[in-house]
Amino acid sequence: MNKTLLGYVPAESPIYSIHPFVKLYFLLVVSLFPMFISSPEINLLITVVVLALMVYSKVDLRILRIYIPVAISMGWVILLSYTVLGGEHPEYELLYRVLGVNFYWERIRDAVVVYCRILPMIATMVFFLTTSRERDVIVAMRTMRTPFVVTYVFAMALRASGMVLEDFQIVRQAEQARGFDTAGKSIAYKIRKYIMYMIPLFALSLRRTEEFTNALVARGYAFTGEAARVKRADYILTHYHFRFSDGVLVAIISGLFLVLLVMRYAQGKFSVEASWVLNWLYQVFS
Amino acid sequence: MTALIEVENYTWQYLNAPQVSLNAIDLRIEEGTFVGIIGPNGAGKTTLAYSLDGLIPGQYRGIKHGTVKIRGREVEEYPRGQLQQKVGLVFSDPEAQFTAMTVEDELVFGMENLGMTIPEIRERLEWVTELTELTPLLFKPPYEISGGQKQRVALAAVLAMTPEVLILDEPTSMLDPVSRKRVFDVLAKLKQSKNTVIVIEHSLENLIPLADRMLLLSQGELLLDAETRAFFQHMDLLLEKGISPPGAMRFFHEMAKTGRYAGELPLSVDESLAKLETLVASRRTANGEMA
Repeated sequence: MNKTLLGYVPAESPIYSIHPFVKLYFLLVVSLFPMFISSPEINLLITVVVLALMVYSKVDLRILRIYIPVAISMGWVILLSYTVLGGEHPEYELLYRVLGVNFYWERIRDAVVVYCRILPMIATMVFFLTTSRERDVIVAMRTMRTPFVVTYVFAMALRASGMVLEDFQIVRQAEQARGFDTAGKSIAYKIRKYIMYMIPLFALSLRRTEEFTNALVARGYAFTGEAARVKRADYILTHYHFRFSDGVLVAIISGLFLVLLVMRYAQGKFSVEASWVLNWLYQVFS
Repeated sequence: MTALIEVENYTWQYLNAPQVSLNAIDLRIEEGTFVGIIGPNGAGKTTLAYSLDGLIPGQYRGIKHGTVKIRGREVEEYPRGQLQQKVGLVFSDPEAQFTAMTVEDELVFGMENLGMTIPEIRERLEWVTELTELTPLLFKPPYEISGGQKQRVALAAVLAMTPEVLILDEPTSMLDPVSRKRVFDVLAKLKQSKNTVIVIEHSLENLIPLADRMLLLSQGELLLDAETRAFFQHMDLLLEKGISPPGAMRFFHEMAKTGRYAGELPLSVDESLAKLETLVASRRTANGEMA
């Protein structure tokens, strides 16, 4: 695996032969699919398909472990928000009343629907991050004719975030070397003392900003003025060619999206009423 | 030779600074010269480099007196982007000067800013990667390579813009001896091809063999400006200002102080050896004659 600022990507993968724009297009469009699908089973199916694509792309699935706590926490937050903190709804069907809290079927159903919508979105994002190097993101954005300044600011933000993390490690090690360490202390203590890291980190970041600006000026870059109006050649893009197969993939993704819209709005598919998982859950709860 | 850089009675004081950083500097650098600048910390070396590259007064606020001209034109008069085609600056911290996500992107960034065409960029990229031996690293992210490689990338990125004068501000201050030598190997190639190079450096062992001329800055003043050999004959002044010349040179200086050696101080180890052999031979001859 190779480390990127976005995470880890496989050293070799068949997906690298695909144009970065297709990957970004996949992320942007497939992330929208769950918004039009209420049936949890379909959203779970999309999640499985995306995971299968990750396997095909030789992504080490152990990477998913870091997302599991996030997914579980999110599930609990959603469930609690919809049920315990969901309020009074006399129009809904009351299933249980526990310690003064009403549990309505519609609220439980909505929590399941929302959670199952988020899962494929997370999977799609993870798929993108684990198969795209930083350069791929920039190339994809430039292929979409995003103004250079926007792609450049995005690249700088990525770069800067990496530098801040490195600087944070330096500050932490320097403070540990002088006997300041929050390891093993309470969370409250850590939060209170976090300022000890933040002040030098902030000062370092200010210095980095100055150095970064000087580096940009020294390379003849300018956001505004005459220098900014120079017609730029985009050398990086010469390494990437949008092939026929890339066009086919874009067409397939677009086609699937269109089919989804037709099935949803013209044929009424993927609704909560059409979901067998929700029907089964209803029987279980009631 | 044509004067590429002309600095006349130049004084610079940063805003709110208690004293001037550079004071009444007069300097003239001809095309094709390799200049070394040395001096203790706070001497004004970086300020001078920034002044030549237009970062001062462009990016910093302060009070300026006198003139800094590149090719007969004041640095402030150049539109941004044009001065960088004439003056290239490599900073001391390689980490801080990267602006891109791969080594290749980093190298082409400056050329794209100058409005070069794809074939021009390709040609220069090939030339600069060969010169700095960076070809195997082209697709690596800059944060994954070693310190020495990073500094070579920074140097290559500026070189690719083919500036008329290249300024390096302590380019090896964060490098180990092996990486330091590799950076100086690149500079040696530049000297061979008659480029104008200005190097601010503490590592004199590597700098001396390349420098045609040396400058000593101290507390904002240009104390000494001479051809390299003549420069190091002012050893007492250099030592007084905290400069640490190579051991062999100091050895001969000590010999000279105690009257055991008269003549110019050698600039390199090889030269020192030759002088020492001559000295020993002459002593043996003298002792033989006496006997």
